[in-house]
Amino acid sequence: MIQNQVKLPLGVAFGVVMQGIRIRFGRSLVTIGGVVLGIAFLMSTLAGQVVKEGVQEEDRMRTETNRMASFLAAEMGPPLNRVVGVIQTGPLNEAEMRLIRYLIDGGLQKLQWHQASGETPVPTFSGLEPSLVTMDEVARDASGVLLVGSGGMPKQIAAPSALAELLDGAREKVLALTRERQDLEAPGVSVVRLARELSPDEIAQADEDRRNARFRTAWIVLISLVVTIGGIANAMLMSVTERFREIGTMKCLGALSSFIRWIFLLESGLMGAVGGMAGACFGALFSIVVYGFSYGFGSVLISVDLVRLSGYLLLSVAAGVVLSVTAAIYPASVAASMVPAHALTTNV
Amino acid sequence: MVIDQQKFEALFKAPEGEEARCVIRAMDVKKTYRIGQQETYALRGATLDIYRGEYLSIMGPSGSGKTTLFNMIGALQKPTSGKVYIDQVDIAQLDTDELAWLRCHKIGYVFQTFNLIRVMTCLENVTLPMAFAGLDSEAAREKAIHILKMVGLGHRLLHKPAELSGGQQQRVAIARALANSPEIILADEPTGNLDQKTGEEMIELLARLKKELHVTVIAATHDLKMLQTSDHILWIEDGRIVKAARPEEIDFTTSEFG
Repeated sequence: MIQNQVKLPLGVAFGVVMQGIRIRFGRSLVTIGGVVLGIAFLMSTLAGQVVKEGVQEEDRMRTETNRMASFLAAEMGPPLNRVVGVIQTGPLNEAEMRLIRYLIDGGLQKLQWHQASGETPVPTFSGLEPSLVTMDEVARDASGVLLVGSGGMPKQIAAPSALAELLDGAREKVLALTRERQDLEAPGVSVVRLARELSPDEIAQADEDRRNARFRTAWIVLISLVVTIGGIANAMLMSVTERFREIGTMKCLGALSSFIRWIFLLESGLMGAVGGMAGACFGALFSIVVYGFSYGFGSVLISVDLVRLSGYLLLSVAAGVVLSVTAAIYPASVAASMVPAHALTTNV
Repeated sequence: MVIDQQKFEALFKAPEGEEARCVIRAMDVKKTYRIGQQETYALRGATLDIYRGEYLSIMGPSGSGKTTLFNMIGALQKPTSGKVYIDQVDIAQLDTDELAWLRCHKIGYVFQTFNLIRVMTCLENVTLPMAFAGLDSEAAREKAIHILKMVGLGHRLLHKPAELSGGQQQRVAIARALANSPEIILADEPTGNLDQKTGEEMIELLARLKKELHVTVIAATHDLKMLQTSDHILWIEDGRIVKAARPEEIDFTTSEFG
């Protein structure tokens, strides 16, 4: 005739938790404050990385474009009122797009475009529409021909004689390469390599710098999260001690240990979610404002990678919940394993 | 849904012909606490039978083992040795889930310090044990309102415990104890924190419940008025039951009640 006590749906525990948080609002705020600080730190570090990388990438790109443009100008002169031919072998990268835009902004008269790869679409530019031409016509009256895109070298110009023939009608016999290409040579043609080759040493150095920076950041973030877990666990333990009598009473009324455990885990998880959201927003805002002051708000807002930033926002909120629930595991099991008789005789 | 009093009372009724059933039986119950190297006896062997519908008072000075005996027969703690049967079930054989069920359905607890959940209203305090029993919230609400009206708090349903007087809080606690129609009400010094007049009202309420609902009331007390209302009185001293009597056998003018 003795039965097992019914397992209550989580909704009941949720109701109890919401009531508790509302009534003990001040105390809940203090606990949430701990989560907010920890998560804000995490998020500001992550967002800082995104913003910094965005700004640096933008910076690097500008320098690269300027360098390529001045190399090109040295060979064929300033772009004003000139004709330039473009052979496209595949999708263009950001630097190539910027270089062409730079030429157009410089007053280019005509852009003779040959689409050599077939599948990739021809990009559009404001100010000057590329006029599509055949390979034979691409160099006619041009001050130079750009070979752009990620595809391989078109067969028609791979041979030196073919290249010389192609540039026959050009005003200046200049072929500019924006990417690493095989050696090209043709009599009377100057081949300009605009792409800058990084030496293996430089690449290794950059990689190591990046790795070190990441490791340092990860270490600081890890420490701060451990501190946050400690803080939350402490607050939850206090909360358990404070509620000894309440827990004991609930056990006398027939609450299962699992129900008590759920109450504390849910409470902590909820506070973690709220604190995580607030912390993530504060952290992101903090980073944007701080970097905005040093790099200028305009360039920060243009260059920031929003997809990555929102990914980190979600990650931070999740971290808030996970941290809080982890921190509450021990306090919750202290509460759940309490003998009801002890809870009633404790004077707190 | 409106609960009528007869139906409500029927929830408490034992099956026909079982009126004199033994609801709690304790056999040579001992409890020791270990503090460091030293063993302390809280209970040195208590044996007692409590029958359904009985009003039993337990007397004893503080430190006599009264509360320990209470915890044993209330299934709040397991004895070191000896057996406790509640409704013919040996509680030592029950796992925690079954103990929770037993505490939820068979026993209602009333404490000296009321122990209401202070973040909940009166109504929620009373419906909480019903929720633990799996009663749906609408039915629980109806039943809780009925019980609160019965203890005279129909007008205080949505108040928080802090907004009530001590006597009113203890009434809520008694209403909560009745929530799942238990056979036994265990009251540990229910009048201890109340003034004389409110205490008497509480005693009358418990006596009325015993009469109307046929619940078994077991109360630890110092209150003379309470002893006079009891069916039986037990004295416990130094972990042993030293005396048992009916109120009519006792001369209440002597000082043996401390």
